[in-house]
Amino acid sequence: MVSSISSSEEIDTQTIRHTLPSGLRLTAANRPGIAQPVPERDIPDQPWRVITLVVAILVTLLTSAWEWKMRTLELIPGDLGGGYDRWAELRREVDKRDVPVAIIGDSRILFDTDLGRAEQLTSVRPLQLAIAGGSGLPVLENMADDPHFKGLAIVGMAEVAYFETQYATVRPQKAIELSRWESPSKRGSFLIQQVLSHGLAMLDDNYRLSMLVFRLDRGWRPGVKGPYDEPWKTQETAPGGQTWIWRRLEHDRRLSGHTSYVWHEFFLPNPLDDESIKTVFVRTKIAVNKIRARGGDVVFVRPPSAHNLRTVEDKHLSRARGWDALLAYTQTKGIHIDDLPTVQNLTLPEESHLTHACATVFTDAYIRALAHRTPLLHLKPDAPPTLSTQDCVQQSIASSK
Amino acid sequence: MIFNSLIFVVFFVVVLILHAMPFPWRAKKVNLLIASYIFYAAWNPPFVILLWLSTVIDWFAARGLAQADREWKRRAWMLLSVVVSLGILSYFKYGHFLVENFVHLAGLAGLKYSPPQSNIVLPVGISFYTFATMSYTLDIYLRRAKPANNFLDYALFVTFFPHLVAGPIMRPTELVPQFATPRKATADQLRFGLALMTLGLFEKAVLADGFLAPVVEKIFDGKAAPGFVDAWVATLGFSAQIFCDFAGYSITAIGAALCLGFALSDNFRFPYAAIGFTDFWRRWHITLSAWLRDYVYIPLGGNRHGDARTYFSLMATMVIGGLWHGASWTFVVWGGLHGFYLAVERLLRKQFTWYRPGRIAGAALGLLTFILVNIAWVFFRAKSFHQAALILGSMFGRNMHAAPVLPAIYLLTTMVIVGGLVLAHCSMRNLTLEAAITHVHPAVLSALWTVMAFAVVIEHGESNGFIYFQF
Repeated sequence: MVSSISSSEEIDTQTIRHTLPSGLRLTAANRPGIAQPVPERDIPDQPWRVITLVVAILVTLLTSAWEWKMRTLELIPGDLGGGYDRWAELRREVDKRDVPVAIIGDSRILFDTDLGRAEQLTSVRPLQLAIAGGSGLPVLENMADDPHFKGLAIVGMAEVAYFETQYATVRPQKAIELSRWESPSKRGSFLIQQVLSHGLAMLDDNYRLSMLVFRLDRGWRPGVKGPYDEPWKTQETAPGGQTWIWRRLEHDRRLSGHTSYVWHEFFLPNPLDDESIKTVFVRTKIAVNKIRARGGDVVFVRPPSAHNLRTVEDKHLSRARGWDALLAYTQTKGIHIDDLPTVQNLTLPEESHLTHACATVFTDAYIRALAHRTPLLHLKPDAPPTLSTQDCVQQSIASSK
Repeated sequence: MIFNSLIFVVFFVVVLILHAMPFPWRAKKVNLLIASYIFYAAWNPPFVILLWLSTVIDWFAARGLAQADREWKRRAWMLLSVVVSLGILSYFKYGHFLVENFVHLAGLAGLKYSPPQSNIVLPVGISFYTFATMSYTLDIYLRRAKPANNFLDYALFVTFFPHLVAGPIMRPTELVPQFATPRKATADQLRFGLALMTLGLFEKAVLADGFLAPVVEKIFDGKAAPGFVDAWVATLGFSAQIFCDFAGYSITAIGAALCLGFALSDNFRFPYAAIGFTDFWRRWHITLSAWLRDYVYIPLGGNRHGDARTYFSLMATMVIGGLWHGASWTFVVWGGLHGFYLAVERLLRKQFTWYRPGRIAGAALGLLTFILVNIAWVFFRAKSFHQAALILGSMFGRNMHAAPVLPAIYLLTTMVIVGGLVLAHCSMRNLTLEAAITHVHPAVLSALWTVMAFAVVIEHGESNGFIYFQF
């Protein structure tokens, strides 16, 4: 042995070896109190060359077939999904450059905002920092504590998320944590995934093997809700943060019906007590004041929800107790969907989020309205013409025919 | 960096290409060393310094030990190595735990002590590489090995990326000699190595993370007391999850090393087919149990100083083993429970020396072992004694009328995986994986490999860290 390290107990191990049944080999468990020798790793007697070739061909064929199947389900290449890595990457933009406008909030402001339209109207492309399934409050506080942010924060408001200080804060807090520290390994993997997802639709987390298997159970065990009763895929996200409702929900009635059913299960009318509401007011005001102290500002936007869902939401927290009181307490301005008469009756395929076309219309309306309420947002002189409900509802009808 | 991440795929391809280049052997070893540091730094770059520190201290301690002309000097060098290694490990891993317990004890004595806030980050894999470097100096002290000829071979032994962060815990005599002569995988070694990596990633990404983790989390991270069925299924699910997670890591590590032409030690041998606890610990995390046996149990006296000393050594070793897994009293109880199992087994073996179980009795004893191992897993997985008591209570029928929590599909998939795992372990209990593969028809082998690889591809998802990284 060339190395000066050597086992002095090889004779003992040879003795033990003879007592082993065939097909077994010694491990450290068989050699107490002695130097462990170089391990043995035998290669099973098989035609490995042929096997590897067959496996490579079959896996390539199966993966191609799977990719084809996923595309028929309307998954699209380039959809980055709603992972924390993507959000963390966007959040770090605030530390790198001057961000004049950032959007914060839940899935409504996330899916219902057309960043391109906002840019056409104001020359500024907002930084999209809303998180599906999360309250905007933790992110607002996080931005307020960041001295780099001196711009306008547009906070999207679905009362059930914004005023919920337990479950709705989990996702934002995880995302914020990741934006503070993300290992080089995780960042590297995300970059590779970004590259891969440009060519592959099958990388969607909502359609991975285990999830598909789990969703087979449509309530087999009475009284138990499982993955079938959770939201399936609801969004598609492009690099840069532009997020829409998943296009299939716009025409697949069964799927949008299922999602709608899930929202109604989630949005149970559970009236909030005054103390919880006040806590949210106070936290919001502190954050608003911090941002204003640096020359920035905060405005609120309440995107639409369908009549049935809105009824439930109002029972949870009415406009007077939530929206109006928050704006008054924090002395902020906001745009409520009820106050935008030209964009009423927009199309909400699953009652909670707008179609692509209607998101553009809604963005057009709320950005114009905000430009009149805050000096931090200016409409371009050559801004495109105003849009109204007819611009998207007709399109929706046409596309579904 | 973790094996089930996209960045690792790119990293490994680059390492394979560099290793296949016609560079001198020394240059290839330098490449492997640099790659291993990159592998470690990809998690948190500053902690590479800690790895260097641990490596350098034990290198010099071992040299001092080898050159010492008096016994007390040898002992001093050995103690220096052990104290520094365990000191670093204790600070990072047990700092919080010690302070917490001190505050609690002070409180019991009527003293109010508020320690300053600290935010100690646990360096990934510190327990594994500390044990590896310690075995280097201890083997030299015990005259089982001589120091490595050069620092490069030694540093590569400590840092070699396949085993660095979660084992198998390699001994210097197992790995250093492999760096002495040029190594390059044969074509079949490369192919078989890739097959092993596929198996490991299938166990980890598909079974442990995809199918088992949600089931286990729903019960063990929930607040309500589960019913009888839910508690048992989640516990059985965890026994499968931790095996698939850790054995999956080990088999991927062995496969990765094999692709480069190196051999790592076996770390698992179908442990859920164990009959008795001595047998279980010869099959579960073999490199750790052998390490604890050689450097803790035997030095404490082993079984050569009477019954009382033997039982003490056994219990102390298992409690230390429990604490090695995590700085929490639940891990201590897990280790203590296994120590108790081993002690009872030893007692029974002494009382019934004549007894040789037949097939049925063997199966019954195997089942009993599996059930008791599962009961111990509850303490391993639970975050508090309260939660452990809640789940154990449910497993023993205290909450028969609790509302069901797990969907039927969770029950079904978990039982299929657990059943399949136990059957596979039982059918291969007296074989190595390689021996079992030899007897499989190539068409079946191709189909199995294809299914596993395809499942890994379509499961993808967020790459979760391995459970054993935290240890």
